[in-house]
Amino acid sequence: MKKLTLILAITAGLAGRLSAATAESSKIFTPFFDMTLAENGYLPSEGNIFSGGHINTQVGLLAKITEKDQVFGLYNFNYGGPGFAPQDTRQFTDRSLTHGFNFEYRRSLGRHWRVRPGISFSKDYTRSGANETWDQGIYNTESKGFQVAVDYNFDAERNGFLTAQFLTRDIEFPNYTDLFQEFMNASATSELSGGQQDQRLTQVSLRPNWNKFFGGITLTTQKYKNQRVVSASGAYADEKQKDTSTAFDFGFHHSLWIFELYPTLSYTVRDSNQNYMRYKSLTDTSPYFMEDNYSFKELSFSVPVDLNITSKWAIGGAMSVVKRDYASRLRRDVNNNYIAGEKQENTMTTLTGSIRKRINDVAMVRLSYSLVVASSNNEFEQYMPYNYTGNSFGIAYQLSY
Amino acid sequence: MKRIMLVTLCLGLLAGQARASVDWESKGMQIAGEILANPAAFLYEFQQDLEGTTPLPPGKRFGFQTGLWGGALPTIGVMPSISGKFRLHGEGRIAPGLPQLDLIGGYWNSPLAGMAADQSDDITDTKFNGHYYGFLLSSSVSPRVRTFWGFKKSQLKAKISFASTADIKLLGTPVNSIDTGFEDSFFVVGLESPKGLNKLWSIQLNYGMDTQTIASKVSWYGKYFELGLNIYPEGVFVVHPVWNFHLNF
Repeated sequence: MKKLTLILAITAGLAGRLSAATAESSKIFTPFFDMTLAENGYLPSEGNIFSGGHINTQVGLLAKITEKDQVFGLYNFNYGGPGFAPQDTRQFTDRSLTHGFNFEYRRSLGRHWRVRPGISFSKDYTRSGANETWDQGIYNTESKGFQVAVDYNFDAERNGFLTAQFLTRDIEFPNYTDLFQEFMNASATSELSGGQQDQRLTQVSLRPNWNKFFGGITLTTQKYKNQRVVSASGAYADEKQKDTSTAFDFGFHHSLWIFELYPTLSYTVRDSNQNYMRYKSLTDTSPYFMEDNYSFKELSFSVPVDLNITSKWAIGGAMSVVKRDYASRLRRDVNNNYIAGEKQENTMTTLTGSIRKRINDVAMVRLSYSLVVASSNNEFEQYMPYNYTGNSFGIAYQLSY
Repeated sequence: MKRIMLVTLCLGLLAGQARASVDWESKGMQIAGEILANPAAFLYEFQQDLEGTTPLPPGKRFGFQTGLWGGALPTIGVMPSISGKFRLHGEGRIAPGLPQLDLIGGYWNSPLAGMAADQSDDITDTKFNGHYYGFLLSSSVSPRVRTFWGFKKSQLKAKISFASTADIKLLGTPVNSIDTGFEDSFFVVGLESPKGLNKLWSIQLNYGMDTQTIASKVSWYGKYFELGLNIYPEGVFVVHPVWNFHLNF
């Protein structure tokens, strides 16, 4: 799930950047550079103090072959270090590393239309601690695929366009091993790594954008090539796993007097046919079958506001909420027992205060403090904290050209 | 939704109860464990502090640099170094738009290694040194912005041999020698922008392609000195304050 989130985030990021770099230029070559660097210290109520950073670097080049034909190449480096995260997504100590390459051909068709076919490759590394090696992360992936996008420009003056995009990715997990199957098949003498998580991801999206208002609907399907669903008997059924998600999002970036607002809102409905068999221990002879364990609805919104006190300095405040309600998964008590009739709900709220200084035309630095409150009716927290508060302090640089 | 609002309204009160305690002993053990797990990578972070990986200022043909302070170390004493930069091609000299090309490199050798061997009967031999070399391409994309990218090869050597009569133990295990090193090829990419007359600001990423070592550097530099914050997000000490001295001609 966390890999999918990362891949989709990068895909969405690339799409945004590709659009952002579409300004017409008289140059044959137009470089693109964007780097964000953040480092934070974290103090959770559960667990010890830790630090974590985030680095995102994009280096691209737009080549204008003719008035109507352009080629755009982009390399994206993304590092996500330890940090607080919504429940059921990742551990505090998890970190990931992504290299993404995207090549796109752009062809203008008349005044209003443009088509953008492209190909994409990426390699992702994950690990849960600095003492592990990146190469051996169980959720490491290699992804390749293509996409085609069509833009309809309906208001050139206010950057109004509608983009329809189709993309597909073949995602392989070279290190993934099936712990459940190993557990069930005690006679297995080696790791079972037959591409159980390998999948094909397809995504269709329709995104309008006008006058710094943006939004869209995104439909994503993950078809697993080998992974089958767990049946009530504890064995794998013939049916292969298939996950779908439908996401709506909306946001804008506008200034009113000294106030600069850039709120976003999204609502996701995720449906998975995968189930879950809970074993309390290796010797558990009566495991509990949780049907439809991974389907949920998730609402998230973020409301950041910056008060531009001077042309250089701004005070910022932000509130963000992620709320996930599972469709069928029951909540658990502290002893890992499911509570009948009570479905699991997670909420994570973050309040942030910050000071931002604009260094020059292309760079800014931000000092921030955040208070995180994570709550859930799930009380079983042996492997992952669900209910905690946390403080974080950080510094972030952003440089964009 | 009601719950969200309730949580939100109570955040101010909860802030006071966001109790958290720091277990410094546990944190110290974790840091010690990370150093012992990969001592060479830990030491290499200090080498990166003194490496010169920004391009020569426009108009300069060569330059020298030495590290004064890196992380928690006075590198001028612990790891004295000399770095050099040489411009092979000025931007646009041969053809319009052709980037500036600088060769970069440096070497350091710690006197502490020899002193330890001389003054201790338990230590018979020590080596603690490193070097790097590479190139940088830089290209102006506007009057106030210059991007640079390039490659560097870095190597660090750390070795300490103990006398057979020495009773050296590490976490209870007898050791005869510690021989470690670090070597990797790095991809460098960054952006530089002026802050004033002879004052520049840059941000860059160094990525080790074999070891997936990540280093990001934010630097402010003028005619003589460079002040920086080197951030090693996967390192033991994540943030290294850096102070280097340089001359460019």
